[in-house]
Amino acid sequence: MKNAFSHATYLLTVFLLLILSPQHTPLFATPEIPSNIVWLTNDQDPLFSDDTAQKGGLFRSAVFTFPLTFRTVGPDSNSGFRDAILGNQLGLIGIHPNTEKIIPELATSWAFDPDKKTMYFKLDPRAVWSDGKPVTADDFTFTLEFMRSPHIVAPWYNDYYTQEIDKVIIYDDHTLAVVAKKAQPDLHLRVGINPTPRHFYGVLGPDFVTQYNWRIEPNTGPYQMSDFEKGKKVTFKRKKDWWARDNRYFKNRFNVDRVVYEVVRDMTVMWEYFKKGKIDTFGITMPKYWHTKTQIPLFENGYAEKIWFFNDTQQSAQGLWLNQDKEIFKERNLRYAFAHAMNIEKVIEQVLRNDFYRLEHGFVGYGRYSNPSVKARRFDIDQVARDMKASGWDRGPDGIYVKNGNRFSVEVTYSIDEHTERLVVLKEEAKKAGIELNLQKLDVSAAYKKVMEKNHDVAWMGWSTSLRPQYWEHFHSINAHKPQTNNITNTDDPEMDKLIDDYRDSLDEEKRIALSLKIQEKIHEIGCFVPTFMVPYVREASYRWWRLPKVPGTKMSGSLFDPFGSTTGGLFWYDKARHEETQAAMKEGKTFPPVTIVDRTYEPK
Amino acid sequence: MKIDPATLKKIKRFQSIKRGYYSLIAISLFIVLSLFAELFINSRALLVRYDGRYYFPTYGEMIPGRVFGFDYDYETNYRELQKRFREAPSDDWALMPLVPYNPYENDLRQDDYPPFPPSFTEKHFLGTDTIGRDILSRLLYGFRTAILFSLALLFATYGVGISLGCLMGYLGGRFDLVFQRVIEIWTNVPVLYVIIIISSILVPNAMILLLIMAFFGWTSITWIMRTATYKEKTREYVLALKALGASDARIIFKHILPNTLSIIVTFAPFALSSGIVALTSLDYLGFGLPAPTPSWGELLQQGWSNMDAWWIASAVISAMILTLLTVTFVGEAVREAFDPKLFTTYE
Repeated sequence: MKNAFSHATYLLTVFLLLILSPQHTPLFATPEIPSNIVWLTNDQDPLFSDDTAQKGGLFRSAVFTFPLTFRTVGPDSNSGFRDAILGNQLGLIGIHPNTEKIIPELATSWAFDPDKKTMYFKLDPRAVWSDGKPVTADDFTFTLEFMRSPHIVAPWYNDYYTQEIDKVIIYDDHTLAVVAKKAQPDLHLRVGINPTPRHFYGVLGPDFVTQYNWRIEPNTGPYQMSDFEKGKKVTFKRKKDWWARDNRYFKNRFNVDRVVYEVVRDMTVMWEYFKKGKIDTFGITMPKYWHTKTQIPLFENGYAEKIWFFNDTQQSAQGLWLNQDKEIFKERNLRYAFAHAMNIEKVIEQVLRNDFYRLEHGFVGYGRYSNPSVKARRFDIDQVARDMKASGWDRGPDGIYVKNGNRFSVEVTYSIDEHTERLVVLKEEAKKAGIELNLQKLDVSAAYKKVMEKNHDVAWMGWSTSLRPQYWEHFHSINAHKPQTNNITNTDDPEMDKLIDDYRDSLDEEKRIALSLKIQEKIHEIGCFVPTFMVPYVREASYRWWRLPKVPGTKMSGSLFDPFGSTTGGLFWYDKARHEETQAAMKEGKTFPPVTIVDRTYEPK
Repeated sequence: MKIDPATLKKIKRFQSIKRGYYSLIAISLFIVLSLFAELFINSRALLVRYDGRYYFPTYGEMIPGRVFGFDYDYETNYRELQKRFREAPSDDWALMPLVPYNPYENDLRQDDYPPFPPSFTEKHFLGTDTIGRDILSRLLYGFRTAILFSLALLFATYGVGISLGCLMGYLGGRFDLVFQRVIEIWTNVPVLYVIIIISSILVPNAMILLLIMAFFGWTSITWIMRTATYKEKTREYVLALKALGASDARIIFKHILPNTLSIIVTFAPFALSSGIVALTSLDYLGFGLPAPTPSWGELLQQGWSNMDAWWIASAVISAMILTLLTVTFVGEAVREAFDPKLFTTYE
């Protein structure tokens, strides 16, 4: 019965596809592009690549684990390696990493509809998939079909492409419109979707997940995976005649010929690989690496160089999140006291070698959306004493505050081993201030579960960032007092709700910015989040034949040696002459002056 | 108390095995030392004389700094107090323990970063770990945790193992058969993985860890005790006891148990050392006791990831070798002293 039914649906789908797909439909009149729109493009923003960059070379990098699949959606696809694959998939439009303005990718020009829901695009006629097939407007329709399909087993994408994107309208093979479900500011961040190759996937079936585990999807970016050995390595090859190689913002980028990712399962071993020259660069942001581990002949002889590059990008909201559903944190004074008992400055100065910066609030680095006047509460034992006294608490026999037999003793849940040394210092300092921290290190998923079920006292964690601050998830009462939401502080404040609702409903940028600043003040006033550290930079080690532009990165660069990624990737290049020179010098024992570059172009003031 | 001449003979024999005998003295000394660790290694002063009054801060409630004329309400920093007394001559003085650091406090400095190498002037005799905590202090307190933990584990597993093993061997029949199968299944559970899984979900405090490990650790001694009891049960003296009308409890406790004692005693030291190793390896892997409990495994982990700070790894490795070696020597000597071949003949 079930079989017959699904067979019937299948036939019906095929039939509908036949009559609905544009090539076969004389049934409907072709939609018309409205005449009142203005086509825009962007060929004026500054370049960030270097025109002396040369093509060529082999770039060797390492990953901790071999990806479990090459799919970018569905089960097991959310691994770090996914970035390498998606980094070679272009969208309709991109964002300039320094000006944050729209720049062309697959679309050469675009236009906004006054309804603030629709955006029109003209595709680059030269755009082709890696298998030579042209990119057409239909590939964007297919993205919606693909992402909404139950067969991809990706509920988040299913939901996103249903709730956020309404439809794709095709005007001709190279003109289309993407319509969002509701009017919104920053529409371009929602509707600049990626194409999906219909000719590659055809009709999706229930076996999608297994069928496409190890198939290499055609892409539109500068590289394509050419070769892989399961469990060992993956090779990407540069497309010699890539269709977009002369585009303004892609010129002089994506220079190396081949990129090899090898699996090295351990950080310490990876560092040995780098020292042996088996991989070309190594991230040395961690103080231990930058200060101590790089004091070796490799750097002293100048064969490898160190670079410290300040970026200026959205900072993760890292810190201590207080659960206001717990009795102890229901009172605001106690939350304030807790914040004043955290000696973050001492940790930064004496454990983190002054390399980290104090995070002032949860939304730093969002440009005009960030409120520079909000400052985190500093360590202050006297202030703790005043706050506690005001609520009627006194120090008990062991120095910890007590009231009616309750001790100010809270559990801090965390999951990263390296953070233990920061927490034990905080614990000792908090004890002086009269607050006891019990450190509870859980495995990542156990910690996540505990926090998501709102069973924590204090969660030590950080959130990933997006281009604009997101408040609703974290601070709206609609998400409070129930499991599996991101409001892990259980913030429930009518005034806050009002601000957040206004922020979400507003389409006017100025008004949104004003509201954003106000919300950040309000969060500070509630005091449910104690911000800790930010790392507004990246530090890398590389062999001296790897070259970078004069300004080595962009405001948004998370890594200087990221070979892919249309926004910030592929700025470096291989210098053959220097490679040969260095190799000869290594053999003869000749040395170069050691090089440490510190680039402060985008350093936070 | 009268000691059975056979036992006396065994003790004598044990004493004559010098290596084992001195090891026993050494390990007992370590244990006693660690039980009173607060008197030797602690940030609290042993004795303070201030304004004509005497204070004994070691045990008891914390004394806020205000009591000694500081301007804070948290625990007095006795090292500073001692320094202050020395700088301004008066009748006041403070007597500090040998190592004036507790295992939790971070001795951090301006413009220099831990781990700090061993230093006699700073009284960090074995240096500090990566967050400035005194290694000697953490070693001794860690030893206390480890040895008390394995002793508790020993009592728990032997308690269960001996009673169950005795019953199995003595009762035999269906009871024996059922528990044999249970043990066979039990021994096939990969204990380390189970502990890792459980402690990644629960907070692994000492009690829980002890329960889990005892839960899976009772099988081997049960097996041994079952065999031993079986053997004893068939011997003539038991038959004679039965003929005389002795109760089962009397036979087991008064006669069979003392006769199997040598087996229990022989295995105990080895069980003790395996308990220490198990706890240390769990801590090393990060699934043991929660931070910041002083533990050898955690020190070992630090030593491994900071090879250039040689004093961390070498201190904890030497301590481990020393402890395990002494325990093993004791075990060997006990085994030799209790060797039945010396005193009994088989028919």
